[in-house]
Amino acid sequence: MLFCRLATTLGTFDISLDKLSDGELWLAQFFRGLSDGATYASLALALVMIYKSTGFINFAQGSLALLGVYLVYVFSVEQGLPIAVAVVCAMVASALVAMFIERTFIRPFPPNNVLPLVIVTLGLLLIIDSAVGIVWQFRTRSLPSMFSDSAPIQWGIARLTWRTIGNLGAVFVVVGLLYVLMARTKIGLAFRAVSSNLESAQLMGIRVGSTLGFGWALAAAIGTLSGALVVPDLLLEPSVMLRVLIFSLAAAALGGLDSMVGAVLGGLVVGLTRNLLVTFLDLSELALATAVAVILVVLLARPTGFLGTVRRERV
Amino acid sequence: MGLALAKEGSRLHRRRQVIGWVLFALVVVVIPFLIADTYSATIFGNRYTVGLGNLSQAIAFMVAILGLNIATGYSGQLSLGHSFFVGSGAYLTAVLVNDFHWSYLSTLVVVVPGLFLFGVLFGLPALRIQGLYLGLLTFVMATVFPSIIRLEELADRTGGSNGLLIGSDLVAPSWAPTETVAEWLHSIPGLGARVPDGFTSRQSEAVYKYFLLVIVAAVCFWLVRNILVGRVGRALIAIRDNQLGAVANGINLAAYKTLSFGLSAAVGGVAGTMLAMHSGFVGPDEFGFNLAILLIVGSIVGGVATLHGAVAGGLVIQFVPHWSGQTQTLPGTDIALQGPYGGVILGVLLIAIVFALPSGAANGFRQLKARFMPVVPQAPARSVIVSPDA
Repeated sequence: MLFCRLATTLGTFDISLDKLSDGELWLAQFFRGLSDGATYASLALALVMIYKSTGFINFAQGSLALLGVYLVYVFSVEQGLPIAVAVVCAMVASALVAMFIERTFIRPFPPNNVLPLVIVTLGLLLIIDSAVGIVWQFRTRSLPSMFSDSAPIQWGIARLTWRTIGNLGAVFVVVGLLYVLMARTKIGLAFRAVSSNLESAQLMGIRVGSTLGFGWALAAAIGTLSGALVVPDLLLEPSVMLRVLIFSLAAAALGGLDSMVGAVLGGLVVGLTRNLLVTFLDLSELALATAVAVILVVLLARPTGFLGTVRRERV
Repeated sequence: MGLALAKEGSRLHRRRQVIGWVLFALVVVVIPFLIADTYSATIFGNRYTVGLGNLSQAIAFMVAILGLNIATGYSGQLSLGHSFFVGSGAYLTAVLVNDFHWSYLSTLVVVVPGLFLFGVLFGLPALRIQGLYLGLLTFVMATVFPSIIRLEELADRTGGSNGLLIGSDLVAPSWAPTETVAEWLHSIPGLGARVPDGFTSRQSEAVYKYFLLVIVAAVCFWLVRNILVGRVGRALIAIRDNQLGAVANGINLAAYKTLSFGLSAAVGGVAGTMLAMHSGFVGPDEFGFNLAILLIVGSIVGGVATLHGAVAGGLVIQFVPHWSGQTQTLPGTDIALQGPYGGVILGVLLIAIVFALPSGAANGFRQLKARFMPVVPQAPARSVIVSPDA
């Protein structure tokens, strides 16, 4: 039955060829892919932060980002702050919330037993998503963007907007800052020590708990930023981050779960595949399936993603 | 405190085991008659219901979790996309019943081998992709299932977004002793008051369905148990605990890993058939991301790598969300808990369960049993080593 799909695709190949030779369409989809990719990359970065420090996937990351976006909405639309200031305020606020969550819900569990923690993050996902629904109701709202939608570069339908440039730029700035933080500061050193070997770090006198709390805070702040980047293109409603989360999970797996540069790379690849393959193979309803296919192929070739650390077992 | 010590395998121990099983069987047989009229209890001003339909669905979930446990619990392959197999089984059954006029149970002849093959195919990439990467890949796959069902090419068979109403009813055969048992239970003083005097046809159909599902589930549990206590189960556990060690001991890693996915998928497919039998309807969104999460929650909350855990997990993922939704007032206040409050309560309960029983309900139960009915384990009889060329 999927073969039917393949056959129809091949049958309509002349149309696709038309599309393929359409440079404007290529470029337009390329730019859209970059823009989507940047947003996936930013949430994937937050996932990677938590994975690096704790070794598990925080399923509540999308929900924390959702909470952050609503805070952006409160600060900017309701309180009337300029959007950039509102985003910074919301990042700080969501970081505080994340530290609180880490302290109350995550730290009581032994860090080396991952399965209960997975359930806790799933429970948090439910709680935060529903709480957002209770507080802000389910109606859709629109959120202003930090970057304007005007296009400095335009070629027919292909527009490279300031928003795309801004989203990409924001992601690269975040990666740069994270790199400096990890490589040049004391808290970054502590973080790396904890992620490399929790027990040894503890024995060296590093306060593991507060370091992990810091990781959660940082991840939540990045998640909030990612929400502030992606939501203006969509509409703000309580399930908006769930779809982004799934693509970001894909991006994180693709890039390598413990690599920040990998997360960005993975995000861009997922974003580009989604937009290019889907347009040219006419697979609009299979956007997610194409993403799965790409991950499958990449992971078969490189089981730890593009840049993930290959774990070697010592016997 | 508690009962006397019993040696493992002693007559006392055996007797206790038999009594336990008989009690369990009694509960399983009597319950459908008690809740054929939806049973409800009011606690703190909230009305909580237990219907036979809920219980039947819980049984299907138990089998689904059982399947998930084979791949994830026993052989340690993190598979978050089990809903994909469950959904495939359910749709396969629905299409066979609707378009080819098979009976529900006969579709298992296709569902089991079909899903087994599918699982084996699915297990092939799992030979290379491991751990959380596999988990994420399978998780994203689970979210794809609804969009595959909605494909235009499949929509005339699968019903697309509207889902598929299965045009076949499960009618109790005339020899089914439902009425006799009901009358008999009704005559028991005390208990009998809860059993309705006569059954409507809908009720007896529900009771029949329930017993059908119980039998299918029991067969699944029995078969899976037999597989897991034997050579295959040992091999899977060895792979989970130490892959290199397992290979060094002559376990064919590729064969057993793909086998575990095949078995897991086949059992998942049976669970799908059971869900289709239970509700007579399949829809694409029933088998998406939400079911994937529920199943993994059930598996962990019940206790990974335990058979009892699948039973506990099935009950938890059916009734905890159901009752969370039915909690409408907070005792002592006049806050109305409606709509999204259900999600908050469910989330809080999940976290509370994990706080209370971090290693799962089955292990908690085991500890309780060890405290009140202690069993002294005995060394197994000396094994005889058979040399391969003998």
